[in-house]
Amino acid sequence: MSSEKNVYSRKATLSLKISEFEVPPMQDMLIIGRKAPIGPEAVRRMAEALSPEQFTLIKMDHPKIEAVLLRNTLLQMLDEKLLMKIVLEESERMISDSMVLRSELKIAVSIQREVDLL
Amino acid sequence: MTISEIMTTSISTITSGKSVSYAAEQMNEDNTRWLVVIDHGVVMGVVTSRDVLSAHPNRIVADAMSGYPSRFSADLNVWEAHSYLQENNGEVALIMDGERLIGVLTKEAVRVKIAEFIDPLTGLYEAPYIQYVGEQFLKENIPFHLLFIDLNDFGQINKKHGHPFGDDVIRRYSSVLASFAAEKGDHLCRYAGDEFVMISTADEDQVQKGIALLTQPTHIRNVRISAAVGHVNGYEEPDFFSYSLRDLMEKASLESSAAKIQNDYPTFTT
Repeated sequence: MSSEKNVYSRKATLSLKISEFEVPPMQDMLIIGRKAPIGPEAVRRMAEALSPEQFTLIKMDHPKIEAVLLRNTLLQMLDEKLLMKIVLEESERMISDSMVLRSELKIAVSIQREVDLL
Repeated sequence: MTISEIMTTSISTITSGKSVSYAAEQMNEDNTRWLVVIDHGVVMGVVTSRDVLSAHPNRIVADAMSGYPSRFSADLNVWEAHSYLQENNGEVALIMDGERLIGVLTKEAVRVKIAEFIDPLTGLYEAPYIQYVGEQFLKENIPFHLLFIDLNDFGQINKKHGHPFGDDVIRRYSSVLASFAAEKGDHLCRYAGDEFVMISTADEDQVQKGIALLTQPTHIRNVRISAAVGHVNGYEEPDFFSYSLRDLMEKASLESSAAKIQNDYPTFTT
């Protein structure tokens, strides 16, 4: 009688959220702070393991930013120096040296040409 | 005196993918302040306790290593290793036999060895230092001025005023010499007792001005102190590089004795 009163049970509830894993899982750019928990070499190795030959690591001479990881295709479309200048200008306002920022970076080219009519 | 005498052959290693916190634990366990980073048999660098302290513990060792350490062969002279490590501000150097790592040299070990050759009275290097510098210059065909500086009547000063005063004289004169040498990046040692040797690559004018300054009598507590300087000019001496350093020292020392006789300074005017 008394043993029925003292029934003890443990239950667990599982919650699953499933979505498609994007390949490659990286975005276009990672900006790595000097004291970030993940350093440039670790980021480079991660990118190389997940998306071989698709990313380039650029070391920076900057007080807060140690390096930037960029998708190679971006560098094929824009000059590296120009791109880095814009990235630094925009990111240095919000980054601290312990952060890693990720960024989407899309380049859209608009073209207008004038041709002679036949 | 080669670095093989002071290098460490017991080497703690780590791979570059391990975390900084793991490196710190391993340093504690192995009771060391550095770990050689080796990936697949290839030496990648060194991670030191300073690197570990300044990096986030989650980072991998590859991201915490500071620069690439110097590589020396085991027969390198300790003085040379000392100047390399000073120039590059390196904490640790790797000792290689070809591509094989055979030891590690720490700046601390070099410093301790070098300290054995620092004269406790003056803080100047002792004779082996100038021996190394001179021989190195001769080996590399770099001409230099060799100055042998000998205090006049130092034995008499000791006898008349006592050895503690004699020590004061040596200390005061050494500091003048040291500041004179430091100005031009010259090399200086207390050769023995009241004798000093300087190796200079400054131009002739500067050296002559220096000799004039060093031979000019000065007063320490009303005791007149003077020195005789023997000078071998490696820029003008015929067959300079055919001499050994010992020959050149002998020559400079004899010139200093000759200058002493010629000038015959009265040492004491109390």
